[in-house]
This record gives sequence, structure tokens and C-alpha cells, in this order.
Amino acid sequence: MTITDSGRIQIETYLEICQFLYFEAELLDDRRFEEWLGLLTEDVQYRMPVRVTKEKADGSDIEEPSSYFEDNLVTLTSRVARLGTKSAWADDPPSRTRHFVSNILVQPGADSSEYLVTSALNFVRNRGSICVSDQLTGKRKDILRRVQGDLKIASRDVYLDQVVLGTPNLITLF
Amino acid sequence: MADLESDLSFQLHENLSIGRVPQWILTDPGIYELEVQRVFASNWYFLGHESEIPNPGDYVSRWYVNDPVIVSRGNDRKINAFLNSCTHRGTMLCSADFGNKANFICPYHGWTYSLEGKLNGIIAGDKIYGTEMDRSEWKLRKLPRLETYHGLIFASLNENVVPLDEYLGNLKWYFDILLGRSDKKMQVKGVPFRWVVEANWKIGSDNFGGDAYHTAMTHRSTVELGIAPKDPMFASYGHQVVLDNGHGLNVITPSPVAPKVPPFQGLPEVMWPMFERNLTEGQLEVFRNTAVIDGTCFPNLSFLSPMHGTGGHAHLTNFLTLRQWRPLGPGKMEIWSWFLADVEAPEEFVQESYKRYVNTFGPSGVLEQDDAEIWSRITSASKGLMARDKTLSYNNVMNYVMGLDSVEPDPNWPGPGIAYPTCYLEAVQRAFYEKWHECIAKD
Repeated sequence: MTITDSGRIQIETYLEICQFLYFEAELLDDRRFEEWLGLLTEDVQYRMPVRVTKEKADGSDIEEPSSYFEDNLVTLTSRVARLGTKSAWADDPPSRTRHFVSNILVQPGADSSEYLVTSALNFVRNRGSICVSDQLTGKRKDILRRVQGDLKIASRDVYLDQVVLGTPNLITLF
Repeated sequence: MADLESDLSFQLHENLSIGRVPQWILTDPGIYELEVQRVFASNWYFLGHESEIPNPGDYVSRWYVNDPVIVSRGNDRKINAFLNSCTHRGTMLCSADFGNKANFICPYHGWTYSLEGKLNGIIAGDKIYGTEMDRSEWKLRKLPRLETYHGLIFASLNENVVPLDEYLGNLKWYFDILLGRSDKKMQVKGVPFRWVVEANWKIGSDNFGGDAYHTAMTHRSTVELGIAPKDPMFASYGHQVVLDNGHGLNVITPSPVAPKVPPFQGLPEVMWPMFERNLTEGQLEVFRNTAVIDGTCFPNLSFLSPMHGTGGHAHLTNFLTLRQWRPLGPGKMEIWSWFLADVEAPEEFVQESYKRYVNTFGPSGVLEQDDAEIWSRITSASKGLMARDKTLSYNNVMNYVMGLDSVEPDPNWPGPGIAYPTCYLEAVQRAFYEKWHECIAKD
């Protein structure tokens, strides 16, 4: 990608996409998970390929076929429903989470209704009375699609920087 | 490392034999030191699967508790396990998780080892060391023992450990079902998941080994969602089997009131003739009627072969996962989770199987998320003076009395081991802790 590529995106669109991603983060941190589901397309694909430590000469350190999530709308809906049960112990009492989203770059997508959006994620999770928070950082690659005027997430790949996850479970969405 | 005082050891033994497990064994630093030596270094320790290193030069970096280990395949195709440390100054040689190498080169002074561990290159070697230094004394340090079973690679730091075959004992009969049923056996798909949980390693072994009882409550969210059955006895049907050397498992059959599950855990029918070729009548009988197999190979390798769908009983799909509970201290462990599939399984099935695995187990799994949570709560509650009081004056023992002296073994069970006709039992855990005590109590 060059700056010229991103230059083809109108500033209004860029701001709209930024606002969309911040709003999404707010929904997750405010635990408005059902509303979050409303931001997804029907055919959404949601993955989190595994990061590994490799020597530089061996190429990409992302192991695409291995993934912490292999989700679609059905399984994501089921995850959200689980968080709404009375016995999702891993999240009850709930964690305090913060999704910090930055470094947002927007490119045109496969057709005029889609955008390729990359962003950096700094996810912080605090639980109980432990004063040290768990942290996960990573890069997200999204395809956002305009559906009847609204932006929706058609695809998300999250590439965490951690090879060994320092949080006991991936309880929320990223 | 201080020995257990004999009074304490005796009292521990007495308590374990009546299903009382002192809470302090989960968090006591002295106990942990004993475990590193006498449980982990003295027995066989799982390092990985042969299919992770299929070609000469392939290696994976693993940990034998705190010892970094290179597990590699030599040019002779044999598997080796070396301490991942240069014999010159001790530098770690491989810092990547895996790769393929023609030789192992130390980045400090350039000492170079063959895939078989031979020191065959020293920069300016002859000029500096002349011929006085015998290079064969400075080869990579092999772990004293390495043996495999159906592709599982085990090593031991104990030169005198019994052969792996003997150590696994009658667990092999069940490993044959899980790992030896196909002509070309199983292969690991992808890389293992790794994550850290603030919990004692024994809780993982104990839970996967025998704790069918926790499913109704720990995983109640999946019952609420209709993914798991409402019947609180649903995980009790079948047999709990106590095996040699602290190993054990549950062979869970479908609830009599639930819809029937397909034979062989719903594995594709094209594979059945293969199972019939490779398994005995008794193994086929067990495998044909099973919904879930979960168990532990003492001390810290667990396995799980369940069936999970996307909701209700729709699309129940089997997968096999191996677990290692690598201790990082008394109150912390790194969980390693591998996914395996039969080499001959249809690709479409393997992909579906992987999705069910990720969705239910691993760090994002809707079942496993809650396990990690509960296990760290146990550990958090076992660190204080009351929990760690060795005189047990606060009755600080955990209750493992379920079925003690009241459930009789089933004489008609076709497999080896002591098989009890229910999985709501703690016989496997009692045997695990008794074996554990036998290890730490010996000189």
C-alpha cells in the first residue's frame, strides 16, 4: 500500500470508519455484546491466527491455519449468548476490559461497497482485585462492507503479538 | 530440596487413602521442589508428536519443566532430544519454536553441532584448541532416555526409568483406540496453543483424568444454551478406569435418555474398516459405544476426545486434543494444547473437527474458559496459612471420597484396568494422588 492508495479514500469515509471502530470498541467494553453482533454481516468470518516464534529466514511468524477463533455469525452469536447466561464463570464477576484501537489505515476493497481496514489493538483486561492487568496487543485486518448504508464487519483477522497468551481465556471479542 | 518428614509423609498417605487430599499440596513451594525432581525428572515426560518433525532437520523447541529441549529428527530419521544449550558456554541454540536446520550453530562463538548432536565445527578450532581437546566429549547433551508410542515422544531425565512401554502399561490399550486406530496413525495439525493460567498443574491432570462430575456445574452455561444435556447425570454414564502408574480415564457413553450418537464418535464411515483392522474386538466394543474419552497419563499429559456440535445435538463432531500442564511454579502453569486428526481422515471432516475443537476447548473455547477460571480460584484459595497448615488442624483437606469403598468394579468391562460402572467417581484422582505421593515420598 502507498499513501496514494489511501488517498483515494475520502476523509469523510475515513472518519466514519474510525468512528465505527471506536464505537465497536465501546460496545465491547461496555458489554453491549448483542448490539455488537449487529455490526456484523450475515456471512462474517472471524479468526485469530496463531503467532509463533520463527527465525527471520523462515518467513512469516503467523501460522494462518491455526487459529484461536474459527467463527461465523452462528458461533459468535452463541458466544454472546453464553456471556448472557447465569453461569459463564470466566466472566462472572465480569472483567473490566479496554480495547484501545489506533493506527487505522483504510484502503478501497474488492468493490465500491468494501474497505480494507487495518488497525492496531491494545487490549487490557483487569479482573477481581488483581492490580496488574492482562494485556494483549496485535494487528487487526478487517473487511468492512456497507450494507444498506451502514458499515458492517464482513471479515476480521486478529494477529496477536503474543505467542504464549498471558490471560487465562479469550472471554470477550477482539 | 527438603525431604518430606516421615510423619508428614505418613499422614499424607493416610489421608490420600481415604480420599482426603491436603490443600497445601497445590501451593507449597517445598512440595513443588520435590515434584520437579521426583515426579517430573524421574518419570517419562511428554515432549511432542513425531508428526511435528516429519523430515530430517526438522526440530521443535520444548520445555521439560524448566529445561529447554530441542526435539529434532536426524539425517538417519531418528528422533533426538537435546538440552537446548551449547556445551561451550551454555547459550540456548534454538530460540524459535520450530524450524528446519542442517546443523545447530551457536551464535556466541560459532560452535556447530550436527543434527545428531556431534560437535563438528569450531571456528578456527584446530588453531585454538589443537588436537588436545576431544570433541566427542563436547557433543550436545542428550536427554538420558527417549522413547515413543504411536507417535507420542516422551523423554526422561532418569537414566533408570522403566521402559516407556512398561510405564504406560495398560494405558496403551486405550491409546491404541485414540492414536493407533488408523493405518497411518494420527498427525498434529497446526501448532499448539499455549497460554498461562495461575493454577497448580495437578488440577489440570486431576480434572481431565477423572472429573466428569464438574461438567454439569462448571460448564452449566452450555447446559443453559442447550449445547449440553440438562440431565445432571449426563456425564456419569460409562466407566471410570483406574490404570497403571497413576494413569486413568473416563469412557463416557451417551445418556440413556439423550438421542443416540453415531458409532466411533461419529468419525466418517469410510474410516471404520480401518478401525476394524487395527483394533481388537474389545477395543472396538468400547470405541463403538463411546461419546467422550478423557484421561491423564501421569503426571501431566492429558487427552480428550469428545463430540461437540454447533448447538443441541446437531452436527456432533469428534476431535482429539492433547494437553500438557507444564508447571511454572506451584501456582502457575503454561497450558499446551495440540489438535490431532487421523492421517486418513477426509479433509472436510478435519476442518469441521478443528472448528469444534477451537470453539469448545483452547483459550477461547466456551467450555475450557470456565475450567481455567475455576482452577485459578482453587489455587488462589490455597495459598494462605489455613490452607497450607500441614497439621491439618483447619481440616484443610479437599474431598475426594466419591464412590470410595461403595462402587464395585464392573467384571464385564472388555478392557484392562479397574473399571467402575460410573464416571461420577473419584477413583482415578485418588490413584493419581497416591502415585504422586509414592513419587515424592521416595528417597
